[in-house]
Amino acid sequence: MKNTFQISILDWHTFLLGLSKNNSVYVPVKTYDTIDYKLFTEDGLNIIYNVAKPVTPLKAFFLPPKENVVIEKKAYNKNIIIGIPACDLKALEILDEIYLDETWLDLRYKENRERAVLIGTDCFETAENCHCTSYGIEPYPVNHADASLILLNDSILLTIHSPKGEELFSTITHDFPVKEVQESNLHFAEEKRKQVKKELVEKNRLLPDYAKTGSLIKNSGEDLWEKHSRTCVSCGACAVACPTCTCFLLIERPDFEKIRQVDACQYPGFERIAAGEDPLRRKYIRFRNRYLCKYVWKPEDFKSVACTGCGRCIDSCIGKISKNEIFIEMAESS
Amino acid sequence: MIRMPANGIQYKPIKASVEKVIDESPLIKSFVLIPEQDFSFKTGEFIELTINGTGEAPFTPSSSPLEKKKIEVTVMKAGYVTEKIHALKKGDVVGIRGPFGRGYPVEKFYGKQVVILGGGCGFAPIRSLLYNLIAEKEKFEKVILCYGSKTPEDCIYKPFIDELRQIEKFEVYRSVDKADESWKERQGVVTVLLDDIDVTINKSVAIVCGPPIMMKYGTLKLLEMGYPETDIYLSMEKNMSCGLGKCGHCMMGKFYVCKDGPVFTYDEIKELPDIWL
Repeated sequence: MKNTFQISILDWHTFLLGLSKNNSVYVPVKTYDTIDYKLFTEDGLNIIYNVAKPVTPLKAFFLPPKENVVIEKKAYNKNIIIGIPACDLKALEILDEIYLDETWLDLRYKENRERAVLIGTDCFETAENCHCTSYGIEPYPVNHADASLILLNDSILLTIHSPKGEELFSTITHDFPVKEVQESNLHFAEEKRKQVKKELVEKNRLLPDYAKTGSLIKNSGEDLWEKHSRTCVSCGACAVACPTCTCFLLIERPDFEKIRQVDACQYPGFERIAAGEDPLRRKYIRFRNRYLCKYVWKPEDFKSVACTGCGRCIDSCIGKISKNEIFIEMAESS
Repeated sequence: MIRMPANGIQYKPIKASVEKVIDESPLIKSFVLIPEQDFSFKTGEFIELTINGTGEAPFTPSSSPLEKKKIEVTVMKAGYVTEKIHALKKGDVVGIRGPFGRGYPVEKFYGKQVVILGGGCGFAPIRSLLYNLIAEKEKFEKVILCYGSKTPEDCIYKPFIDELRQIEKFEVYRSVDKADESWKERQGVVTVLLDDIDVTINKSVAIVCGPPIMMKYGTLKLLEMGYPETDIYLSMEKNMSCGLGKCGHCMMGKFYVCKDGPVFTYDEIKELPDIWL
């Protein structure tokens, strides 16, 4: 089977319908102004292609907001996730480093990760706060996807990247009239990639080099954090929406069961110990903690910076706090 | 090696029944637990103790690491979970997960004078360490325990202290913040005991475990005495929850105290913000 081919959008949806009989197929759907993953059903959803980015980060498939981590699950269906932007695919690097670490392997994460087939998408349109290129990430899938797709002229251009992808699409060439990708379509996609990248670089040109952001944060004064955290209400939306924030709370249930629930260092009491001491007792310290964690401590402990420039933390902040504005201010005053 | 409880399910505890409850002080009780299967740990490593349906809390066992059939934890009533633990009675069933973390590197103490500074309920991990040191006592030059508590009635492990005083190479010094007529030992914060001991710093290591404020001033005093930062071992108290370096509640700078600690040298953590909070 060729690695890249194109299939008409109608045939593609028929194929997805077939897949959805025995698997959970998630597709990006636009509702009013919001794009989010929805389960593919026969109802004919308004699937949206080539755009960034679902409000739910990819991590939610592997670390769901709430999950019983003690009871053994029945046999899993595959989770086929379609339309994953490159920023979320990149985030898998740090998630896997933390959760698939050989010594400290998290079995439930591993199961959830293994049952997922990841189908990435190019971002032909970007959202207001997208800045992946500032983190050295291309706005199209490069790594970690099992396959990737683009919608062009009523055809889906599909590229297979992994054995898992090959397995999923093993019957598609037999069951549907697939074609070789037209040269003009390839050319168009290539040009589009360049154009989107240029747009992103241009609109984020003031951001400091991400590799140096850690030292800017480390050397910044408390005043800066006090000032920028004034409108923070400790809601934790930034951490919940973040594709790389993975802290959680364990909640006890009868029969020694445990629920793992998404948690955030922005919540008061997150690190408080029984005797009452709390290193994150003040709001600006909690606020700063999230950036220290992402840009200073995670890179010391793991290979990657724990940010992929998706901009969801800015999108989701009801206090209208933009980390990019903070970083630009830091860079200018350094 | 994958670090997980023997039953292979990381978040599911093994069951243990309460064999004995010992009142140590008005706020502190010890619980002797019999796990449903053999349970081994290295001294200084910790376990998560689960109260079914209520919650979990981390404790470093206070019993000997050589004992596989029983495990003892010493718990101060300080919050929601510890209040439920204090209500436990003989025969009740609890859960235990672990052991987790990095304990005391006992082999690094061989040939040394081991100075141990403990305060309050911080005696719990220290007693486990002392059992370990007693079992290998020929390998140490001497072991000096300096233990402080608020009042004479807050002093825990009284029978153990009496036994320890009879063991060759082991010295015991105690202080209380507030003495009464019955108290024949030192009065003052625990660091005053360090003025009384005879120790050769360059042949010694120091171990500190207690409430954060005592850890802070204990460490400062040891530094003042000339201990190198690499020879001061601290058992850090943080909000360890998952035990697997994942949930983030015990983060201290880049360290997850649950897997990188709870025992650190001062040198390893001195640059981090707010370590004493």
